[in-house]
Amino acid sequence: MVSGKKWQVIVWAFLAAFFLLAVGLGRRSGDTVLEFGMFAGSNWGVANADSCVIIDKAIEKFEKAHPGVRIHYYSGIPKEDYSEWLARKILNGETPDVFMALSNDFDKLVSLEALANLDAWMSQDPDFDGEAFFQTALASGRRNGQQYALPYETVPTLMFVNKTLLNQEGFGVPDSDWDWEQLLRICKRITKDTDGDGRVDQFGVYNYGWAEAAYSNGGRLFDENGTQCYIHSEQVAQAVRYANELSDLNQGQKVMQEDFDGGHVAFMPLSFAEYRTYKTYPYKIKKYSAFQWDCITFPAGPQGDNISQVDSLLIGISSHSHKKRLAWEFLKTLTYDEEIQMEIFRHSQGVSALRAVTGSGRMEEILRRDMEASDRVIDRKLLSAVIENGMDMPRFARYGEALALAEGEILKIYEEEKNVDSSLKIVQRAINHFLTQ
Amino acid sequence: MKAKRIEISLAKYLMLFLNWVTVVAVTGFILVTTNNIRDSYIARDFIDGVEAIPWKPEAIFAACVLLMGALSLSFVMRDIVHFKDGRLEAGSLFFDFAVSIGIVYLLNFNYNGILLWVFANVIFYTKNSSGQFLFMLLGVFSFVGTDYGLASVNYSLYDIQDYIEYYNVGQQSYILGIYNVLTSLNMALFIIFCVFVIQEQRGTIQQVNELYEELQRANEKLQKYAAMKEKMGQTKERNRLAREIHDTLGHTLTGISAGIDACIATIDIAPDKTKNQLEVISGVTREGIQEVRRSVSRLRPDALERLSLEYAIQKMVEDNNALTDTKVSFECQVQPLRFCEDEENAIYRVIQESLTNAMRHGKATRVDIRMWRKDGDVRLTIQDNGIGCAKIQPGFGTEHIRERIALLNGTVTFDGSHGFLVDATIPIRWGEEYD
Repeated sequence: MVSGKKWQVIVWAFLAAFFLLAVGLGRRSGDTVLEFGMFAGSNWGVANADSCVIIDKAIEKFEKAHPGVRIHYYSGIPKEDYSEWLARKILNGETPDVFMALSNDFDKLVSLEALANLDAWMSQDPDFDGEAFFQTALASGRRNGQQYALPYETVPTLMFVNKTLLNQEGFGVPDSDWDWEQLLRICKRITKDTDGDGRVDQFGVYNYGWAEAAYSNGGRLFDENGTQCYIHSEQVAQAVRYANELSDLNQGQKVMQEDFDGGHVAFMPLSFAEYRTYKTYPYKIKKYSAFQWDCITFPAGPQGDNISQVDSLLIGISSHSHKKRLAWEFLKTLTYDEEIQMEIFRHSQGVSALRAVTGSGRMEEILRRDMEASDRVIDRKLLSAVIENGMDMPRFARYGEALALAEGEILKIYEEEKNVDSSLKIVQRAINHFLTQ
Repeated sequence: MKAKRIEISLAKYLMLFLNWVTVVAVTGFILVTTNNIRDSYIARDFIDGVEAIPWKPEAIFAACVLLMGALSLSFVMRDIVHFKDGRLEAGSLFFDFAVSIGIVYLLNFNYNGILLWVFANVIFYTKNSSGQFLFMLLGVFSFVGTDYGLASVNYSLYDIQDYIEYYNVGQQSYILGIYNVLTSLNMALFIIFCVFVIQEQRGTIQQVNELYEELQRANEKLQKYAAMKEKMGQTKERNRLAREIHDTLGHTLTGISAGIDACIATIDIAPDKTKNQLEVISGVTREGIQEVRRSVSRLRPDALERLSLEYAIQKMVEDNNALTDTKVSFECQVQPLRFCEDEENAIYRVIQESLTNAMRHGKATRVDIRMWRKDGDVRLTIQDNGIGCAKIQPGFGTEHIRERIALLNGTVTFDGSHGFLVDATIPIRWGEEYD
């Protein structure tokens, strides 16, 4: 029979072994590998053959600066599968140390605490200055006043102008500080029946509606957390009336993509990524080759400015990462390193979120290299201003649904010719109810 | 009593087993469901509908099993090995508490029944200690504080309900049923356990009460027996006196009466012969007187007849010193040494008996007699330097001494370890003193 004392010693030893085992399992040793979650292709809905080039360069630079550290990423996950892939990783507790956060996922990633709060890293790193970013782009990674991700690449929306059509109708390309008045005047002149079949077949705008007008009129549709709708504000109501005026010009004719592609529409909102894609070989030949075109800012409303929506691709750090310092360094290499960011202009279709990169002369040089001599390269100051003043694209999870709901209701207002002001009040109430459900 | 203990033990083991099952079931269910969600490629939709998700389901499963193991180990040490130190036991209870809080945290408050297990242990092990109240308070607060509904107000927690909703409606009701049965069963077991403990405590109180009553009864019996013994002593003495009178005085008086009858018959016929007869009767009468005296002297010492108790004792001591080799001393601090007759008799007889014993059995060469007054009683000690005896045996004359003292409601003890000591305490009726 073993004595009580001896028993106790044995059992306590067992306990100690238990915990040592647990601690040991927790921190398995080996190579320092930093997992990076990314998708292949472009975030902006355009074809991109060398999407991995920038990432590979960043990894090479990072691994050179941090010997013994390896970055691992899964290549070939398409953007449409990335959300599911990331969700599976999160469910398994295998969230990559550093990963891209899509607009639709960002809100959920913050609320699930999958993204680490970067405020402490940003303020404690002497080499880091948040002012280097365009504030619109930086703010897109912020939620509840806290920074959860940094912008890797950003894309403003521009106004596509059919130069050939404008010239034909006796107009030049408007200046970058043009306004609603000018647009309406041009549209009134351009919208007409050219072949005499009694149907309007030449239009002023395509895809330009009340939402776009609202942004350039200083309006906002939702608050950042997606709990409030501002559709009944004066700025938005004005935009709704203006958009109605524009669409009334078409005399009930619906403008189609083919009309635009065929050169029968003067204006269309276009993302900077599309601009870059279709301005360069080989896509230049495929699309919009029948006419000359350019991009300008959005027309300013009476209460607003020449601004439009800006979308950013965000990268954050996993809140469960054990290598947050390295992850932060890598995140900085991706988003804060000017050399790497300059690569965006070479290999991607977006714009660097760093002021110094997008505002540099080299950026213009790179853009020019891809274009024909006759094309006008978009001005760096203009580009910077569009991003800096742009309207950040809402990132809450039900944004798409809420916007669709609003669009449907406003369409009904147009069709049933209801009173805009009182109807918007009802719509706003309905959307608020939907958002708080 | 024993049966109740087994029931309590059974309830405890069952509770531990049930908690094992529940913790493994909950963590295992989350693990399996996570894999199902992953395999059916609906992870994105799933996380859209949840507040929070557990980090690494496998790790949580493993950690919970590990912590349950630690909990079981601590239980085994308490229940089977037993801690000798109460502080170690309390420490192990605190350890259990911390571990179970850890488990509840890992389970994100989806199951806090494990705290009931700790609570049951606390009730069982701190039944009679002062820390019980503190432990109980801690238990109640922690159980209430770890309720999922309450905790989810302040923190975003994963909800097992979200995982259950992954399955179709038919399966959902089954899973929910099992989950509810497990949590309710644990609660029920806890209540049963508490009932057993309460019953056991009540059983102990009843047992103590029964024992007390038994003792009371034995005491009463003893008192009755003592009274009877006293009465028996008196009867015995009365019988002795009757026999003494019958044997001596009766016999002599019968003889005398017969002799006188004969004298009456012969006095006229043969006066001389009658004279002789009367002389014989006279002799017999004297003899009878002598006999009666002897008898009485056996009841009451000679010396006492004539002298006070002190002188009587003094005389006995002097006679003894003159006639034997044993030296006797007498020291008396009670003045005046005058009591009731029965008291004087008893004291004299006790001393006489003790001296006889000292010489006959003890072969003593020295005997010290002391008398003094103490709290209204008289203490009497007779100490000799004889061989004494290891064990007081009846028939050494001690019985008579005890009897005599008992008649006066006094007490006497004997000690044979250093020579022989007779130590008597006699309550004296001082008020009835006569002079």
